Amino acid sequence: MKKEDTVKLISSEGMEFVIDKEAAMVSQTIRNMLTSPGGFAEAEHGVVTFPEINAVILEKICQYFYWSLQYSRGKETEFHIEPELTLELMMAANYLHT
Amino acid sequence: MPVLRSREIPPVPPKPPKARSKVDPPATPTQGREQPATRLSSPHSLTPSPKTAGSVSGSAPYSLRRSLRLSSKGSSNVGDQVGLPEVEKCIESLNGDVSKKRKLSVDVDGGFESGGSRVLSLRSGVKVTKRSPLGDGDVNGGGGGDEVVESNTKGKSIAETEYIEKSERDNEKENVNRKRRFSSEEKGKGKLVVETDLESKDETLVNGSVPDVEVPAEEVKSPDEKPSKRSNRGTHRGRMERFRDTARRNASRFAYFNNQEEEEKEEEDNNNLSMEAEREIPSVEEQIEEKVAEDWPGPFSTAMKIIRDRAANLNVRQGSSSTGQVPSLKINWVPQKGKGKDGSKRLAPSLLDLSLRVLVDNADAIASLDHVPDALRHKLCQMLCDSRRMNSSLLDLLLSGYPTEIRLKECSWLTEDQFTECFEKCDTSNLTVLQLDYCGQSLADYNIPSTLARSPISLPALTTLSLTGAYRLSDAGLSVLVSSAPALRSVNLSQCSFLTHGAIEILASSLASVLLELFVDDCQSIDAMLMLPSLEKLEHLEVLSVAGLESVTDKFIKEFISARGDGIKELNLSGCGKLTDSSLKIIAETCSILRALDIGNVPKLTDNSFGHLASGCRSLESLKLCRNTFSDDAIAAFLEMSGEVLKELALNNVGKPYHLQDAQEICCLSLRVLKLFGCTQITDVFLCGHSNAEVEIIGLKLSPLLEHLKAAVESPLQKNTWRASAWPQAKLRFGAGGKAHKAPPHHQEVKAEKEMRLTIKQLLQT
Repeated sequence: MKKEDTVKLISSEGMEFVIDKEAAMVSQTIRNMLTSPGGFAEAEHGVVTFPEINAVILEKICQYFYWSLQYSRGKETEFHIEPELTLELMMAANYLHT
Repeated sequence: MPVLRSREIPPVPPKPPKARSKVDPPATPTQGREQPATRLSSPHSLTPSPKTAGSVSGSAPYSLRRSLRLSSKGSSNVGDQVGLPEVEKCIESLNGDVSKKRKLSVDVDGGFESGGSRVLSLRSGVKVTKRSPLGDGDVNGGGGGDEVVESNTKGKSIAETEYIEKSERDNEKENVNRKRRFSSEEKGKGKLVVETDLESKDETLVNGSVPDVEVPAEEVKSPDEKPSKRSNRGTHRGRMERFRDTARRNASRFAYFNNQEEEEKEEEDNNNLSMEAEREIPSVEEQIEEKVAEDWPGPFSTAMKIIRDRAANLNVRQGSSSTGQVPSLKINWVPQKGKGKDGSKRLAPSLLDLSLRVLVDNADAIASLDHVPDALRHKLCQMLCDSRRMNSSLLDLLLSGYPTEIRLKECSWLTEDQFTECFEKCDTSNLTVLQLDYCGQSLADYNIPSTLARSPISLPALTTLSLTGAYRLSDAGLSVLVSSAPALRSVNLSQCSFLTHGAIEILASSLASVLLELFVDDCQSIDAMLMLPSLEKLEHLEVLSVAGLESVTDKFIKEFISARGDGIKELNLSGCGKLTDSSLKIIAETCSILRALDIGNVPKLTDNSFGHLASGCRSLESLKLCRNTFSDDAIAAFLEMSGEVLKELALNNVGKPYHLQDAQEICCLSLRVLKLFGCTQITDVFLCGHSNAEVEIIGLKLSPLLEHLKAAVESPLQKNTWRASAWPQAKLRFGAGGKAHKAPPHHQEVKAEKEMRLTIKQLLQT
């Protein structure tokens, strides 16, 4: 993965997740952060921090991004969510508009 | 016309090479066309197919054309008849005008070439020989064949001209793709479909589009105008209407074309004496449609025709827009009968939905709902209520802490004891919204003081209250409740059958200056006339719903509206069977800011009501009809006049068989929700062909019913808070081809449509 195509998402504990930009754009919030013309630091460096989202949830979210891309390309599988994550996942998803 | 004849293209050239001389901007296809025209009896037979410049189509040329056409159409009302010379001039100017290219209808050529020219009858009745103009590559797919447009109806010429021009333009856009030689087969088809008669000849509507990629220029024939429809407009609009009609009719043809269409056209040709060359210009068509839809004057048949043409002509769209900017998106406009969404790109379900579903399945395991925002809570509640998994422990979770909003769309599972238990310990000081629908089992007079109305200030922040179905609630109980909630702004007491007009008096006495919304649907014990004085005391009432109250009469409406009508924004009178047109008249005259009106199930209303509404309520955004006896014409006429602002329209089961024609009229561009339960006549032609990209169509047979149910989660005072829950509002995109998707092409389409629309508008305004 080339550096230009990736973004880094940082969870509340500091864990960093490097994913494709295309995957990150599944989230409307991240998309806005990265493409808004305001010259935000996120857009410049390709790094977004989420102090309210912990690593487990963020990892699941990244998995969702890729699953979503796969789904829209035709491969329709099922995305399993562990029940104990659901509540926080729901709130994170709400925040990320995804 | 001597001038025409002087054109190089022979009237019936077996192979009109020049026809497509459109190559040069000022192409002379028109010439070719004109030539034949000259032979026509009427000098105006010219069916100028506007040459569309590859890139830009100015409106001016169109207007020019239009006038020429008009003038050429002796039949129409055109005042100044421009003779052929004028047409010639126009053509000349066109030639000189890069932007204008004339598209020849080529298809017909095939036939012509082989057997001599096809004769197209122009609107004016002149027959023009068609030639196969196909020239090279010119977008104008059609050969320069003369288009013969038989115009039986007058006044459409201009519109037709416009269409043709547009189509030309579009054709040009598709230059690259179109540069196909018309196969002899294609040529033989002689498309032109031209449906003259909108009303009667549906099938003849032509697909007019050029077979395959080619876009033969087609001249739109002005369909016969229905005098009745016109009469709605008034003579002063006749001319513009005709133009619009023509444009409208042609637009559909321009947009699509495919082999199928060709065949259809042939068929039509057989059926129709008059044929018009049509140019297919997908984007143009759409734009035209859009534009036309805005000022939609014409006969329904026109609209229907257009839509049918469009559906028939689905083809690969080149994505060229009238401005030649060619969004270069390829949208397959194949009629998606029942296919609905294009299967190529499925939208993945959102993570939010996925996690909500899992949450609902595991609702018992939810330990706490702290920090969950209200919107998510409501969504969760709604899904739980729908799946009947809501229980009192979850309700406890909801009520824990300092809840601000509680929305339970269905509380029938809640027993009285559970209710008392839950609400006894609930701190309601921050509660702004309380919705306990169908709480009859739980709510009674005697448990209110211990739960909701524990103290005179127990509900200080409550602005929205909904206690539908509280059949054990009496006037006294309501009085206790209301005394604890002095800030109420919206009160929904639907189906509280125990309440009498005394309840309204109570409301009026304590909430006269704050109450904005009142719903007393189906409160059978309330007599409308007796509650009238109290209603009049509500100073700022904006929303009133008296649905289902049989005691609502014309007299009630007259007096209430005279007193409070000028502030009323939403009115629900469905099921008030005694109302007649006079009520609507008063409403229209007084309620100038009326935004939403529901007059379903009021059988005594006639088409006159629409007349009143159209002239009076200019800002009507939502109109709901159900089982009324309005005629299609009236509704269409109303839509024409007010359709631009209309956002939501429900036509459930409207009396007479609702023809597709009418449905076509519903191409109001602001329309976002269209409910058609019970309208059995709507076919895929409309669904696939309507030009409004953002409308949601709900209620047609092919859609599963449950998809429509969606709770409304809105802020307390949003006007549709309660009503939204009553009306299904599924996001069901129906058979709108690629439009259903939010993929980029969609936007481009819409953009292209808008451009088209503008152009048409400009044309029509000349």
